[in-house]
Amino acid sequence: MGVLVFIVLTLGLGALITVAVRSHWHETSPVNRLTFDPVSTSLAGTIFAQFAVGVIGVLLISSEYSSGSIRTTLAAVPNRMRLAVSKLIVLTASIFIISEIVCFIAFSMGQAIFSGVVPTDSLSSGAVLRSVIFAGVYLTLLAVFGFALGLILRHSAACISVFTSLLLVLPIIVLFLPQSWQNTITRYEPSALGRAMMSTTPPAQLFAAWTALVVLAIYVAVALGVGIALLQRRDA
Amino acid sequence: MLKIDHLSKRYKDTLAVDDLDFEVKPGVVTGFLGPNGSGKSTTMRVILGLDHPTKGRATINGKKYADIKSPLREVGALLDAKAVHPGRSARNHLRALAVSNKIALSRVDEVLEFAGIASVAHKKVGGFSLGMSQRLGIAGALLGDPGVLLFDEPVNGLDPEGIRWIRDFFRSLAKEGRTVFVSSHLMSEMAVSADQIIVIGRGRFITQGSVDELTTTAQGTVFVRSSDPSSLAALLVRNDGVVLQNAESGLTIGALTSDQIGTLAHFAGITIFELTPQRASLEDVFMNLTAESVEYGSASPEMMHREH
Repeated sequence: MGVLVFIVLTLGLGALITVAVRSHWHETSPVNRLTFDPVSTSLAGTIFAQFAVGVIGVLLISSEYSSGSIRTTLAAVPNRMRLAVSKLIVLTASIFIISEIVCFIAFSMGQAIFSGVVPTDSLSSGAVLRSVIFAGVYLTLLAVFGFALGLILRHSAACISVFTSLLLVLPIIVLFLPQSWQNTITRYEPSALGRAMMSTTPPAQLFAAWTALVVLAIYVAVALGVGIALLQRRDA
Repeated sequence: MLKIDHLSKRYKDTLAVDDLDFEVKPGVVTGFLGPNGSGKSTTMRVILGLDHPTKGRATINGKKYADIKSPLREVGALLDAKAVHPGRSARNHLRALAVSNKIALSRVDEVLEFAGIASVAHKKVGGFSLGMSQRLGIAGALLGDPGVLLFDEPVNGLDPEGIRWIRDFFRSLAKEGRTVFVSSHLMSEMAVSADQIIVIGRGRFITQGSVDELTTTAQGTVFVRSSDPSSLAALLVRNDGVVLQNAESGLTIGALTSDQIGTLAHFAGITIFELTPQRASLEDVFMNLTAESVEYGSASPEMMHREH
């Protein structure tokens, strides 16, 4: 169910946004035309999809706590490390494969919609290929982050609130800070890391795509480490 | 065999289990009896490695649960019947358990059949009644054909037919040489379904023994009807007896045996019409043993009156 929402959001919103851009291209200013990135625009659906994958990651573990089935699960697999790693493998593999497929379809669909009117990009360019692949990687990392939150907080609603806050509310709070602070902090926001990963040429105030990937991976690894340590230590 | 070794478990400021130390032997049904909140479920949870003990340990055939490779093949447990994914069918729930412990999938249909829920195997567990969930939990416990079985309050939610079935089922499991450990707060249930009984209260060990041992060590009473109740009562009190009840129908005497009462009456020339030793029921024993350790006691009716 969650996966379906994820696919529909990414492809459907990607199509809607690209169609809208195409139909209004004639009124787009020359400056905006210059900075226009056909790759990240075609992947705009991922902005919504990131919440879907996060929720999938969260529910993979938090639903066990809300239904109580964690006790049956741990009775069957008392090695908690093994349990966490198995769930992680299933989550990462499935979300990665689906994300990549969906991102490539969204990209191709977007370029097809743009073609003739709006400038397009092709996968033969290394930066474009990297952007599309990283879009899928970004979604996968967010799913794992959701899973880590689930291990730490165990309550679905709390996890989803925190997840949404980090992606949506954090950037808004940063906007209230002094400009010089904003310049240093913004690039560390998870959503900014995602933007950097998905654009062919990330703007100067963001990290380079590979750096952004490493920073996000560190966030996820730390959260996962804390989550697994808590799973080992706490009573079920 | 199941061994509880000086086990203690503290949750924040409550000591749920306090230095429990006992063994549960194979071949008999062992009852684990205690009032609500006495630490039975906590002990079960620690045995299954769900909760970490504060002190001591619980071992199954010498190993901690978490160190057993395919635990469902050594230990079957029914803790909380509702602890299942509600969206899964009964069959898929059991299949998932079987796969995780390398149990042949053919076992799934066998245990569904045995537990009497084969006809609802394809239905979502979320819609099961408590009784059906209990049966599913029992099917899950049997899945790996384990030598040690733990059941926490298994008769809850079962209908009389189910209760009868589960009693026979425990006996047959024990007869096959398995270790069967069943918790309950209902002494009447334990009296008929368990061979050995371990009694706890407020997390502490109180006593252990067979149903017979527990009831015979407890003081029984004697009911006596005679030609001269008032003289007999006075006579018995002079000889260390206790008159528990002095009713028109007769006297209920404690602290003396029927032989002693009969002999005393004979020498005093009082005619005895009826002399009936009344054995303490397991229920009486249990109430006496745990009276001081009831966590959630209810006020007696007289006390309620006094407040009005």
